[in-house]
Amino acid sequence: MTYYLAKAGATVRLVERAQLNSAASSQNAGSLHFQLEYRMIENGSEAARKAAEAMPLHLDAQNAWAGLEKELGMPVGVSQHGGFMVAETPQQIETLKQKVMLERASGLDVELLDGAQVRSRAPYLSEQILGAAFCATEGKADPRSCVLAYAAAAARLGARINSGLGVSTLNYEHGVWRVHFSDGSECMARTLAITAGAWSGRIAAMAGVSLPVSPVALTMTTTVRTSPMISHLIQHAGRRLSLKQTGDGNILIGGGWPARLHHVNGVIDLDRRPELLISSLTGNMSAALAVVPALKKLSILRVWTGTTALVADQLPLLGEVPKSHGLYIATGGSAFTLGPTYARLLAERILGRPATLDITPFDPRRFGSLTLA
Amino acid sequence: MKLETLNYDLVVVGAGPAGLTAALLASDAGLHVAVIDEQAAPGGQIFRQPPSTFNAPPSSAFASYPFGQKLLAQARNNIRIKWYFSTCAWGVFHPEKGGVQLAIVEGEHSHLLDCSKLLIATGAYDLPVAFPGWTLPGVMTAGGIQTLLKSQFLCSAQRYVLAGSHPLLLLLAGQLVDAGAQIEEVAIARPRPKVCELLAGWRALPGHWRMFGQLAGILFKLWRKGVPLRFSTIVTRVQGKEGVERVTLSNVDTNWDILPGTERHHLADGLAIGYGLLASTELARQAGCSVNWNPERGGWVVDHDDTMRTSLEHIYVAGEPCGVAGAEMAHCQGRLAGISIVAALRPDSTLSAISARRALGRAKPFADTVATFFAPRLDALTKLADSETLICRCEDVTAGQVCDFLKKHPHVSSVNSVKLACRSGMGPCQGRYCQHTVAHLVSAERNIAVNQTGAYTAQAPVKPIPLASLALVQQD
Repeated sequence: MTYYLAKAGATVRLVERAQLNSAASSQNAGSLHFQLEYRMIENGSEAARKAAEAMPLHLDAQNAWAGLEKELGMPVGVSQHGGFMVAETPQQIETLKQKVMLERASGLDVELLDGAQVRSRAPYLSEQILGAAFCATEGKADPRSCVLAYAAAAARLGARINSGLGVSTLNYEHGVWRVHFSDGSECMARTLAITAGAWSGRIAAMAGVSLPVSPVALTMTTTVRTSPMISHLIQHAGRRLSLKQTGDGNILIGGGWPARLHHVNGVIDLDRRPELLISSLTGNMSAALAVVPALKKLSILRVWTGTTALVADQLPLLGEVPKSHGLYIATGGSAFTLGPTYARLLAERILGRPATLDITPFDPRRFGSLTLA
Repeated sequence: MKLETLNYDLVVVGAGPAGLTAALLASDAGLHVAVIDEQAAPGGQIFRQPPSTFNAPPSSAFASYPFGQKLLAQARNNIRIKWYFSTCAWGVFHPEKGGVQLAIVEGEHSHLLDCSKLLIATGAYDLPVAFPGWTLPGVMTAGGIQTLLKSQFLCSAQRYVLAGSHPLLLLLAGQLVDAGAQIEEVAIARPRPKVCELLAGWRALPGHWRMFGQLAGILFKLWRKGVPLRFSTIVTRVQGKEGVERVTLSNVDTNWDILPGTERHHLADGLAIGYGLLASTELARQAGCSVNWNPERGGWVVDHDDTMRTSLEHIYVAGEPCGVAGAEMAHCQGRLAGISIVAALRPDSTLSAISARRALGRAKPFADTVATFFAPRLDALTKLADSETLICRCEDVTAGQVCDFLKKHPHVSSVNSVKLACRSGMGPCQGRYCQHTVAHLVSAERNIAVNQTGAYTAQAPVKPIPLASLALVQQD
């Protein structure tokens, strides 16, 4: 968002407590998924219908990613060769059918393929795969370089960026926000935007606002590099699985397997990396191997955990915090895939420009009294 | 989905002097003990033995460390301990039910070992140094060349140059001469020791005459063979088509900075690098043990109290991971750790730590003297890499790429951020080769202390493991 604001000529300062690419922004899987995810369809058709409300954002993100490298003038590993959501059982095929109907109704171009069609496009997939939903614009990007590319582009446009600088207090006084930093310095701003991922709830609390944002700890695994074998994004309709091969040749395996958040005196300790659960690792690898049998001969190089932010109703939290004065937030949901979209739309809103997309369904206002200071 | 789980009182990772001492002591005290080691037999790097089918004299390391022979014999005869050889310990987990869980992989199979106490005695590895030509075949660490000599009686080359500053280099020189190899020069980076320095080291002497005698013997051997031993000399470049052909050395000042115009060359087909050792702390750091920065003792080393317990209640450490200090210290720390663990699990035990602490106290002055006398100048070693030099050989990242990145991204000041952006440290060695070079590059570019750049995050698996070892297990 710093980039989009700076591009519009606003005076922007970005403050990061640690390093720019040190948390979820670089730890996430780098999936560009525009189909509904497993977490959105695992709880029945009503929940899926609710999740599909965010589909306009998905549609916008398809194009945002396609043009991002040109926009930033730097490669960020965008590759959109399509993505499968595979099914291994007749029941999962049924789920896919309903999902595809829902998505088509929302304007997403999705095909339903049978097992033979799937394997003709992706011969590396197991014989066990009975069918899949295919979305041609899905793919991947490199999260390790996206944040830095945005930062470099924003800095070129005159944005001020500080890493290693935390926020200590936020106070609204005499029509401006007064921000105290961890090094004792302070600054004043007319507008504050919270884009702190899992920390969003805590920062909002500093401003006297309670938001229903919860940290969720997840697990990712990468194999050693291998020759190109998987060009698509793979997801699963009945198991937690996301799988892709990076441009460097590593195969990234994830899909929402939990890790354990540390607690101090009953409060989640966001400063410690969540603890890896062996059950998540074995479960995730079993799912991966069932879908892509050729993984059998590869070694695991690294497993890591990270913390993302989910909102109570699983939809994004995007817009101005009600009853506040110039306090904005963007978090929740598929925040990597939708990141460029969130940022552009919120910048638009902050600058008071006409909305290119209606973001009122994602407004923090929907939680009503919860957001009262 | 479940992996096979086994229960022990104590699991020891590493069957070197520290691990063996603790495991035997704990087993004798009645604990149910398992020992994990990547090698096929006990002994660690220091007491590595040739295969039993070789008709060979006992290891020369027994001459320096007489306790070794007895330790190995006891280990070989102990059938109460469960030995997991040719096995890699790849992760420590903290189950909610308490205790510690260690994940190991043996061939294609992973297992979980549940234990009340875990002892990490994972040793050390050679300090990698990146200079132009260091990835050419024929350039090896002193420890690597020694491994071939000890286990298979193989010389990796015929004409060697030895460059470094660690006493291991002199030991290797003696072994290579005995094996019939030719040594063009032994180049030591530190200045020739002054008389006052030698006198200041007197506290190292008691109990270590044997080692000084051995050292004198090696120096005499080199002198008789006409092998030049030069101080204030560093390796700056290696050239060759398919392997080492020409080694370039330069003189350095007391900070190990190169004195221009002092270059000279040797024709050689082997180069041994022995600037020091790094503590192998990946497993301890992955477990969550706190560490401190100690460049004289092998980089990031594991914090422990006077019972060898780490910052985590059930995890102990002994030997090089808590500061590189040699086999004798490792032996003493292993004994103390073993006694502490027995005392923690068997409160009625009559074992006393007093004599173990005394032995540790007697070994320490020698280890301290060696550490200060031979401390590697990591800052100067980093400057040997020019912009074209690979610093991460797994992912082909050059020093120039890292420096350019740091110039373009002024907000970055940690080794982990550089890793994410440049891929240095992302390959199969998991950063063991490049961490120190990257840390010093960040430190120099940002003008911050090396320890402020952080350590690469240690993650499970601490070494690559077969994916199938986790997935091919029976379903619930």
